[in-house]
Amino acid sequence: MFDLLGMGLRIILNPSTFLLITAGTILGVVFGAMPGVSASMAVALALPFAYAMDPVIAIAFLVSVYCASITGGGITAILFKIPGTPSSAPTTFDGYPMAQRGEAGKALGFSLIASAVGGLVAAFAMALVSPQLASIALEFGPSELFAVSFLGISVLSCLDSDNIVKTLISGLIGLLLACVGMDPMLGISRFTWGSSTLLSGIEMIPIMIGLFAVTEVLKQTAKSKKIEVSDKEKNESTKMKTVLPSVKEIWETKGTMTRSSILGTVIGILPGAGATIASFLSYAIEKKVSKHPEKLGTGIADGIVASEAANNAATGGSMVPLLSLGIPGGNAAAIMMTALVIKGVQIGPLLIKTQPQYLASVFGSMLITNIVMVIVAMAVAKVFAKILAIPYTILGPVIVMLATIGAYALKNNTGDVILMAAAGIIGYMFVKLGYNSAALVLGLVLGQMSESNFRRAYTLANGDLVKVFTRPITAVLMIACVLMLVYPLIKYILRKKSW
Amino acid sequence: MDIIFSIALIIFNIYCFFLVGIESPAPTLTELGAAFWPRIVISLMVILLIANLINQLKIRKEKTVHEKIDIISFFKSKLFIGMVLVSIMALSTPYIGFLTSCFGFLVTYAILLGERNIFKVILNSLIITFILYIIFQGLLDIRLERGIGIFRNLALFLEGILLNIKRGL
Repeated sequence: MFDLLGMGLRIILNPSTFLLITAGTILGVVFGAMPGVSASMAVALALPFAYAMDPVIAIAFLVSVYCASITGGGITAILFKIPGTPSSAPTTFDGYPMAQRGEAGKALGFSLIASAVGGLVAAFAMALVSPQLASIALEFGPSELFAVSFLGISVLSCLDSDNIVKTLISGLIGLLLACVGMDPMLGISRFTWGSSTLLSGIEMIPIMIGLFAVTEVLKQTAKSKKIEVSDKEKNESTKMKTVLPSVKEIWETKGTMTRSSILGTVIGILPGAGATIASFLSYAIEKKVSKHPEKLGTGIADGIVASEAANNAATGGSMVPLLSLGIPGGNAAAIMMTALVIKGVQIGPLLIKTQPQYLASVFGSMLITNIVMVIVAMAVAKVFAKILAIPYTILGPVIVMLATIGAYALKNNTGDVILMAAAGIIGYMFVKLGYNSAALVLGLVLGQMSESNFRRAYTLANGDLVKVFTRPITAVLMIACVLMLVYPLIKYILRKKSW
Repeated sequence: MDIIFSIALIIFNIYCFFLVGIESPAPTLTELGAAFWPRIVISLMVILLIANLINQLKIRKEKTVHEKIDIISFFKSKLFIGMVLVSIMALSTPYIGFLTSCFGFLVTYAILLGERNIFKVILNSLIITFILYIIFQGLLDIRLERGIGIFRNLALFLEGILLNIKRGL
């Protein structure tokens, strides 16, 4: 590890490389904070700059853009309830209420520190156990990946413990929406009603932007008499200097920060799982272990820390299968892999042994990025926070237009804009009727992963379901799922008995 | 409302249950078939929706005063107009392009939210439309929708200007 650290620092502390990484961090935070630009799009936009660089520096630069964009996504999630990246969706649960209370600076402070800690933990974990973890990740076949995704689904029961039935229905709606389009195994169309737009499936990003951003604007429209009052509150929130979290307040979240960073790293390492699953899972676990679970979702620091530490740690984790096995953990990692392949780098199991400078470069870049990022993101957040002072008569429509660009830019498809608008209206109904939008998003994220892996595992086991569920890792994970699903029910029965 | 929503969703789910069966071939010994997973999801959802329905009916029975759904005032509300504006913007963008739909939406929604100074609204909307256009179309190369006919010509004209500026730089 120390060899890697030394090599990584030698590469990164070269003045020109350091400047490039700082530039990448700035680019990443700004791109991530733009609602129309996802983390993978940020990396894709930065790709042309990397073509001219040496491959070792190029990967460090792209990693800095990737890590910083995930952090940038948290800025808009807190200030406008628009998750810049899907993994920032759980950040809105506590971040936005805090911003509404006039504690935007504090919420952003917690988000940035948690992101930095998550990123640093993942960087050290990557350097320390990358080869070993990569070989464990290789053990994950379809049945284990199904178990991981099912663990994500069982998280649904924790998202809103007061309304489990409606939360589960919301999650199942998400799972059903994920079935729209081509069947993952046979390529047969399902629920398309002959529409070519639906054939490619329902995209997560337009749905998510609609459910969070458009719904929020509609909510404000419905109570437009109160907008003037909230404008005043928002003006308060722009006073960033006075409301930054203190060291003591940050120290109080140490447990959440540690748990979420470790969980995020582990989830990030698993091929196929990513920052989105990591942040949702971490938030749900926080609800389970928290001493005051009822406060989560009302605007407390633990909620922000759980989500942000996990999603940043997952970005580091996703580098492990990329560099050690040549398996990209997500879209952004796939783009980075393409850049390296273009440069003639042969990514695969031998890369760590034959060309350790790549792992060292990523490690060094993550260390530097996560430190520089706090300063850069705070400056960017201050600029963005100023936007909150704009009257809602201007800000509300602008949020909808940014959401529209975000939905459209994904595939340059106006069908996604219609999907976003529909999701926004349905999202408002969801809020009114007490259903859970986050559960729907989670169902949509996990739907295809669960189905395809389950069916693949079933085929590999020659149709023997016992074989699918008795593989050691699968069995342990499935027991954890059952416990997670049954726990709220037992709690409910015990509560009733005590009456 | 919740009861109506649950019943509508149950009916839709039953329809989907049979639809997916017609669309996909029969399962084999080693392949579960395309209908298996959606049918599991639908079955679970119907069970939960029935549970929710029973729950809601119980609550309704316990309540002495029942909520009345005032449909007329809903259609007159700002919320409904807001939903219509968002829908119109989404549906019209392929035809009138980003520039026009963005400007139109910013103006109408600002008025809906209570802005009375029309000159200010138009000026702000115009400035914001161009800022968004320059950032996303010009700087980030995200090809925003051009629309058709005259709107397409306008978009192409502006794209030409941006391209010339970029070349000049």
